Amino acid sequence: MTIFELALFHAINLLAIPLMLAGVVRKVKARMQMRIGAPVLQAFHDLAKLLRKTETISENASWVFIWAPRVGFAVAVILTVLVPWAGSLLPAAWAPASNFVFVLYLLALSRFLSLLAALDTGSAFGGLGASREAMISVLVEPTLLIGLAALAVHTGSADLQTMFGLITSPMVAILVGVALLLASLAELSRMPIDDPTTHLELTMVHEAMILENSGPNLFLIEYGTALRMCVFLGLSCQAFLSAVPGFRETPLAVQYATGVLSLFALGIAMAVAEGIGVKLKWRSVPNFLAFAAASSFLAALIAAAER
Amino acid sequence: MSLSGLDLMAAAAAASAVWMCGVSGVQTQLRGLVLQTAAIAIVCMILGAREHEGHYYGLALVVFAVKGAAIPVFLSWAARRLGVRKDSGAYFGPAIGLLAGCAALVAGLFIGRDLAVPMGTSAGAAGMSMALVFIGMLLMTTRRLAISQLIALLTLENGILLFGLTQTKGMPLMVEMGAVFEILVGVLIGGLVIFRLNRSFEHIDVTNLRELRR
Repeated sequence: MTIFELALFHAINLLAIPLMLAGVVRKVKARMQMRIGAPVLQAFHDLAKLLRKTETISENASWVFIWAPRVGFAVAVILTVLVPWAGSLLPAAWAPASNFVFVLYLLALSRFLSLLAALDTGSAFGGLGASREAMISVLVEPTLLIGLAALAVHTGSADLQTMFGLITSPMVAILVGVALLLASLAELSRMPIDDPTTHLELTMVHEAMILENSGPNLFLIEYGTALRMCVFLGLSCQAFLSAVPGFRETPLAVQYATGVLSLFALGIAMAVAEGIGVKLKWRSVPNFLAFAAASSFLAALIAAAER
Repeated sequence: MSLSGLDLMAAAAAASAVWMCGVSGVQTQLRGLVLQTAAIAIVCMILGAREHEGHYYGLALVVFAVKGAAIPVFLSWAARRLGVRKDSGAYFGPAIGLLAGCAALVAGLFIGRDLAVPMGTSAGAAGMSMALVFIGMLLMTTRRLAISQLIALLTLENGILLFGLTQTKGMPLMVEMGAVFEILVGVLIGGLVIFRLNRSFEHIDVTNLRELRR
C-alpha cells in the first residue's frame, strides 16, 4: 500500500466514518421512537455549529478545564489511528506502537483527563458524573485488559495491528468480541448502563460531566466521543470477524469494507436494542459488567489451555 | 493442545453452568440447566458415534427427556405456583457468584489435567465435569431459595454423569437409566418438600430456616 492510499484510508477513518456512524445511530433511534429524526449528516452540521460558537467558561475553572478536552481529543485521534478497528491499516514497522497495554493506558489517560475536567468547575453535576464514570471505569478496565491479554496469549503477539490477523480459534474470538462489546457499551455510556440522550440528574453519567462545556471545547469532546465509539465497536467487530474462517486471507480492501459495514450493522443493532431495552438500575451495573469480565476470563482460560 | 468437538460441548456445558451462577431469575436458571443438559446429551451422542454403540444414543435421549425437559418443566411450574421469581443469593450477589463460578472452572481445569483418561476421551472434558461438580456445590451453598438448590443439585448430578462418560467405556444402559430416574424421583420428592415448606412457613428462603419448629 502506498503512502497516499494509507493517508486516504486514515482520512476517511478520522473524518467520515465516526460522524456518519453517530448520525446513523441517532437516525435509527429516532425511527425506533416513531420520529422522523434529524438527517444522517446532522452530526457534521452540529459539530460545525459548535466550532463557530463562542465559549462560556466558568469563573471557577482553571487551565485544566480548557486543556483536558484538547489533550483528550488528541488521544482519541491517536487511538483511532493506532487501533485496527477497520482492519490493519498501518505499515508493519509501526505495529509495535499499537501494543495493547499502551492502548489501554491511552484510554485510561483520556478518562483521567475527562474526570479532572468534570471536577474542575466545581459544579455538583460534574462531581456526580465523574464519580459514576470512575466507578464504571474500575469495572470495565479489567475486562478490557484480560480480554486483550487473552488474544495476546492466543496469537503470541502483543500488537493489536498484528494480533487480529493471527486468531485461529473462533471460541476465543467470539468470547473476546462479546466481552469487548459489553465493556464498550459501558465505556461509551450507551444504553443499558447510561442513556446518552438523558438530562435527568438522577441517571446521567457522561452528560453530567460535560454540562459545563460549550463551543469549541464541547466540539472536541463530542468529536472525541464519536471517534471512541468507532474504536470500541470496531474492535469488537474485528474480534467477531476473526471468528469467520478464511476472512483474514481475503484482500485488505475487502477486509476494510466488511469491517466498516459490520461496524455500521453493529451500530444499528445497538440503536435498535436501545429503542427496545430499558436502562439498568445503577446498582445492577456491576452484575451486567460481571458477564463481560467472565467472558473475557473464559477467553483467557481457553487461550491458555489451547497453547 | 487443540479442542475436539467433545471438549467443546463439555466446555459449553460448563460455560452455561457459569452463566447460571450469574443470573438471579429462577426461570433463567432453568433455561441454563436445559442448555447444560443438551450439551451433555450431545457429548453422549459424540461418544456413541465414536464407539459405534447404540446405547449411548438411548442414554442421550433419556437424559435429555428427563433432565432437559421433564424436570425443568416441573420446576418451572412449581416456581410459578409458589410465586418465586428471583434468588438474590445468600452470601453474595450474582456478580461475585459469576467470578466464583469462573474460579471453579479454573480449579476443574487444573484438576482435569492430572486425571488419568482412558480410551481417547480427553482430559479437558474430565476437567469440565469436575468444574460442573464444583459449580453445583457452589450454587448449592450460596443460593437462598430451596428451589434453586434443587437446580444446583441437578448441575452437580450433570457433572457426575459427564465425569462417568469420560472415565468409563459406557456403563450398562440399565445402570445409567436407573441413576437418571432416581434423580427424577428425587426432584419430585424435593418439589413436594418445597411445597410443604411453603405451606408451613409461607416462604422457601432457607437462610431463614434457622431453628426447628416447635
